[in-house]
Amino acid sequence: MKYAFFPGCSMESTAEDFKMSTLAVAKALRIDLEEIPNWTCCGSTPAHATDALLAATLPARNLATAESMGLDVVTCCAACYSRLAAANHAIGEDPKLRADVADAIGTDFSASIRVRHFLQVLEEEIGLGEIRDSAVKDLGGLKVACYYGCLLTRPKELSILSDPENPQLMEEMLAAAGAEPVEWPYKTECCGASFSITRTDTVKRLSGDILRMAKASGADCIAVACPLCQTNLDLRQSDIEAATGEKIGMPVFFFTQLLGRALGISDAELGMGKLMTDPSTVLARLGR
Amino acid sequence: MAKPTTIKKLDGSLLAKLDPEGKLNIAACLQCGRCSSGCTMRTETDILPHQMNRMVMLGMEGELLGSKAIWTCASCQTCVSRCPMRVDTPALVDKLRAIAESAPEETKRIRVFNEVMLGNMRRFGRVYELGMMGVYKLKTRDFFSDLAKFPTMLRKGKMKLIPPASKGRGAVARIFDRTGGRGTPRRDANAPHSQGRASR
Repeated sequence: MKYAFFPGCSMESTAEDFKMSTLAVAKALRIDLEEIPNWTCCGSTPAHATDALLAATLPARNLATAESMGLDVVTCCAACYSRLAAANHAIGEDPKLRADVADAIGTDFSASIRVRHFLQVLEEEIGLGEIRDSAVKDLGGLKVACYYGCLLTRPKELSILSDPENPQLMEEMLAAAGAEPVEWPYKTECCGASFSITRTDTVKRLSGDILRMAKASGADCIAVACPLCQTNLDLRQSDIEAATGEKIGMPVFFFTQLLGRALGISDAELGMGKLMTDPSTVLARLGR
Repeated sequence: MAKPTTIKKLDGSLLAKLDPEGKLNIAACLQCGRCSSGCTMRTETDILPHQMNRMVMLGMEGELLGSKAIWTCASCQTCVSRCPMRVDTPALVDKLRAIAESAPEETKRIRVFNEVMLGNMRRFGRVYELGMMGVYKLKTRDFFSDLAKFPTMLRKGKMKLIPPASKGRGAVARIFDRTGGRGTPRRDANAPHSQGRASR
């Protein structure tokens, strides 16, 4: 299985641990991820909030390279997934947009490829049975709240989940690896996403509610599949605690870090040391 | 919180301007309020999603373009996902943001952040976070928030000192020129988009 891999800007900085753990898990499960040469930013929120053609063209430049490689695109970032998949969908449906995009990037992109999130690849190409069989070190009944946020679940046309209001994909996968996912009601709420810098109080309110609900639901930790969600829940956790004086202490893992641990990959290779909320108590309970 | 509005006359011109082909399905809005009850930003906005749909139908361009709501929308897609008529309010918000020439004081930072991030993308091809934060802090005169986090982020490699180097950066600059996307320095704001600017 070979895919054109689009890391995205966060994977090179705030979510470097997501990239490390994704590549390690892919290698362990024999998924070949070939990084798109000279990839560039998907445009993120500012592009779609500013100009519709720009928002389709920035992803299309990368998709066109993947198309010329004859490979489907895989990304781990939920936001990049959303922008790449939206552009792929829109260009495939609208010949005028396709022509405008071709004009802007200097090559025709026909939207003949598929854009997938890494979770989908694991679901469709690997399957729960193989994950169960490959889990050499199970997660010892770890109580995990799986958090999806917005961009993997909505809108319907781009959702990677069969039930966007109550998804189960990450739960099934981490359960196959030995964890005990908790059922909880906030798994598709918004964390405040791109307002982390511009409306920090909004993010503290929204992400604080998510963290507190996970804790109230009996979770030891949270698993996420989006670098923006991870940043808001993890990096902002100390600010959330400082605002109310309460201690939350909820480690926020990328789902690939937990999956990687079950596959026997070392904490160093999974970038565990990069998490801001100390995961050592939770990890120590699982043993070496 | 949202406040009541007074309608003076009906006017379909704004809808025709924003969605000439009817792709966003705004006219199908039933005013059921399902969107607004689930809106992430419902307690911080001044116009709720179902009100926004109606205001577009009524041509209330000035009220919409001057609203906080078009900037506080988190683009979480909850409204359109739950809408029984598939009215695409988030896409409508994007179209309103694209033609708005300014943002109310309380939401100015969001608009500034968008411009700064696009400028950063245009220059580096990928987002260079440290550079982006520096420019954003200069523009908003907000020098101190989150500064205490920087050393830990640098130590953990969650923020890089050195800008990303993608050979695609020239291609990205050309995309900005050719699509007319913003993200160019302020002094260029009124320059024609597709001419006269050297591509790298």
